[in-house]
Amino acid sequence: MKDIFHLHEQMKLKKTSAVELTQECLKNANESKNPVFISKLDDRALLQAQRAQERFSKNQSLSYLDGIPFTLKDLFITQDIRTTASSKILYNYIPPYDGYVSENLQKAGGVLIGKVSCDQFGMGSTNENTPFPKCFNPVNDAYVAGGSSGASAASVKENSSYYSIGTDTGGSTRLPAHFCGIVGYKPTYGRVSRYGQIAFASSLDQAAPLANSVLDMGCIIEHITSKDQRDPTQAPLGAMNLVSQLSQAKPSDLKGKKIGYSSYFIEACDSEVKKAMYEAIDTFKKLGCECVEIDLPHAKYSVSVYYLIATSEASANLARFDGIHFGHRTNQASGLEETYIKSRTEGFGDEVKRRILIGTFSLSSGYQDAYFSKACKVRRLISNDFKEAFNKCDFILNPVCASAAFKRGESKSDPFKMYMNDLFTIPASLSGLPCLSIPFSQTKEGLPIGIQLIGKSFQDEELLLSARAFEVRQ
Amino acid sequence: MSYEAIIGLEIHAQLSTQTKAWCFCEINTTAYENTKTCPVCTAQPGTLPFLNTKAVDYAIRAGLALNCEINLLSKFDRKNYFYPDLPKGYQITQFERPIAINGSLSILDDEGHEKKVGIQRIQMEEDTGKSMHMGDSSLINLNRSGTPLIEIVGEPDIRSAKEASGYFKKIQSILVYLDICHGNMQEGNLRCDVNLSLRKKGAKEFGTRTEVKNLNSFRSVERAIAYEWERQASLLDNGQKVQQQTLLFDVESGKTRVLRTKSDADDYRYFPEPDLMPLVITQERVVKIKEELPELPDDKIRRFVTDYSLPLYDAEVLSSSLSLANYFEECLTFFDGEPKKISNWVMVELLKLINEYNADISKSPVPAKELASLVNFVQKGEISGKIGKDVLVKMYDEKKTASEVINELGVKQISDTDSIEKIVREIVDSNPGEVEKYLNGKDRVFGFFVGQVMKQTKGQANPQIVSETLKKILSEKNE
Repeated sequence: MKDIFHLHEQMKLKKTSAVELTQECLKNANESKNPVFISKLDDRALLQAQRAQERFSKNQSLSYLDGIPFTLKDLFITQDIRTTASSKILYNYIPPYDGYVSENLQKAGGVLIGKVSCDQFGMGSTNENTPFPKCFNPVNDAYVAGGSSGASAASVKENSSYYSIGTDTGGSTRLPAHFCGIVGYKPTYGRVSRYGQIAFASSLDQAAPLANSVLDMGCIIEHITSKDQRDPTQAPLGAMNLVSQLSQAKPSDLKGKKIGYSSYFIEACDSEVKKAMYEAIDTFKKLGCECVEIDLPHAKYSVSVYYLIATSEASANLARFDGIHFGHRTNQASGLEETYIKSRTEGFGDEVKRRILIGTFSLSSGYQDAYFSKACKVRRLISNDFKEAFNKCDFILNPVCASAAFKRGESKSDPFKMYMNDLFTIPASLSGLPCLSIPFSQTKEGLPIGIQLIGKSFQDEELLLSARAFEVRQ
Repeated sequence: MSYEAIIGLEIHAQLSTQTKAWCFCEINTTAYENTKTCPVCTAQPGTLPFLNTKAVDYAIRAGLALNCEINLLSKFDRKNYFYPDLPKGYQITQFERPIAINGSLSILDDEGHEKKVGIQRIQMEEDTGKSMHMGDSSLINLNRSGTPLIEIVGEPDIRSAKEASGYFKKIQSILVYLDICHGNMQEGNLRCDVNLSLRKKGAKEFGTRTEVKNLNSFRSVERAIAYEWERQASLLDNGQKVQQQTLLFDVESGKTRVLRTKSDADDYRYFPEPDLMPLVITQERVVKIKEELPELPDDKIRRFVTDYSLPLYDAEVLSSSLSLANYFEECLTFFDGEPKKISNWVMVELLKLINEYNADISKSPVPAKELASLVNFVQKGEISGKIGKDVLVKMYDEKKTASEVINELGVKQISDTDSIEKIVREIVDSNPGEVEKYLNGKDRVFGFFVGQVMKQTKGQANPQIVSETLKKILSEKNE
């Protein structure tokens, strides 16, 4: 599979075409047994591809993304195209407006193959928390694709699309990228407008692309980082133009870079991931990097902090799904209160309910100081830890997860154990830092193992350039 | 037993911005249902609020006019509750750190002495949609959803129904003066919640309070307070306890009824709104808004008394609404005489008509210029004051100018001394018998002559000139 960057060159030279690429993706999607898609848009996609092809024939291509097939996690609002959040409560919801991500990627000429599954409302690590058929790992169907953006990763891995936009609240993009062996990149919080992204936890949610290479990330990110005044929390930095720099990155660029790592995290991993992590450190050293041990003393509280803050915000964000204005409404109720209770009981899955309950409790009067408010304070301490650590290094190397992909069905047994798996991705999320997971190794069984790189706040460019330099090593 | 009432008012005021608080929808209360809505104010999944900076300016204006400190850093919070007219499932408000705090407003107490009522805080928030109940179904109109509001939370410094309505009136007048709220209570631009508790006279501790929600007239505020006072007093007199309740006031019966009894279950789970950045206001912005503040009612009253030599009462009545004060001052620009003359006509005659027709002074069918012209006619003696009143009614009803009506009615006074003297001479000459009687000391006959002159001039002769001329001519006869 080629980079978007190179496919674009080939389309310009008429060696391939948007229609050809789209037909190939649709064929792969249709032949796949993996239930990746919630809404597949064959006809619409082919029409978009034809238009792109016409542009190429007139040498008027719009961007690197013109004519390139992609998928969107079903948390992204698409005008007139059903947007379910992979849940029952929105199974029939057709948005009256287009969200920022959908609008901008299609404006750049992107061919939308379809909307893909995820854990409902982005809550989960396996893509199994959904009433829709559960997608699995294209590398090995006994394993999950990860979550919550599992199907996004799967659609790229199984060549149903060249990239997908997922979301990352506590690791939802980095984890599936690690499980499926592709690149997952969460920009700094505030870099991509959240307008039109169904909210899970507003202070953490960030649109996050999944693709085959770091170079592709450059092609994609340019089109989803322009200033959008509809999101007041977006930083006014403007579009990130990084493609030409990325395309010229070379391993020697890494010379002299300081890479921080924490043994606390590495030692918490299983033997195969641990081995991969130490190999990664060696690889960086060989490329001329200095690897230094760093300390993130409060990071061990990050799972608790995350599951209080994210659930608290979610408890309010999901209040609008009440059966009154849109989405599922029960037909079993008489009266208002019963309508609320039954619509929500029927419409939300167990994991969503669990999180709404935790969040509601954490915000309740009498408990808020001990839970939500304290969590906000510890969040600040964790961010300070990172600031301190970045005095010693340029970026941080961390595992994405203690293990490679989980077996299917494992998550049901112990939700708390599942939460603990987020330990490696959550600290950067709580601090809003840019981070990405890139493929590095694999288990004996052949399951991919990725590594996570965490950059300084709003220094996404440096992070991507270093990751690209690492990616093109021999 | 004798009790003292501890009363605090919370006033919600809709800000009169063109567009809503978080989106670009027009604020329009008369539009068809659900036509002034968008993805944001209908809370479509994925939407985010975008703060209307005009609303912030308006809130700062209110804060400054009510002598508040403006918080240069304030925050928005979510207040969580389920209701169909609240599509997000939470209201965006300011809980922890509102935009303005620690203000005050001076009002008159029941003895007429000035007293200060503390303003605890002014917070920015948003209005909900409207529910309409029809039979066994309910309809929701979201045109109002997301309209910017300020809530003005007063300290419990008020002690009587009259003080309360005085405070509410003054707030209304200030908001309208500031041009930040239409101030129309029937349309729900202003709503008032009354918190009231009783304690024995002289006691230090507070009693349990009740809250009467959503009062939308000054009279309702007074009636609700009177009723609650009575109700709580009789509970206490009978040794019963007042329950902490939220009440609604029924305008028909004049009674309150329970909306809900407060309990621990009442928990709005406030927390910082993660979709909006903290609101940072620069000192320069505050200074600029302060410089641009219009004249407020108290200043205007003082100015009317000193500049126009009006009695305090007149100044207060005329300043009670901005449009009335503006009307008065506009009249003066077309008038040369004593401002008090205009004041009398505006306050007594014009307001009588306005009130009779339940109209609005700013849309008066008699423009200020025409009222001034009418008063000019009276002042110059061209019509009598009595006829002037009839002329005004006709001007009002038929939307005509003063001179049009005066000409039409033919009521212009004859003040021309020569023509009056001519008439008087004719009458004196043709009634020698009556002249005789007058000269013999029958003073009453003077009235006969006046009557004759008026009869001949259809009442239009200037009475003063008639009387002077008569005296002159009759005294000639005596020589």
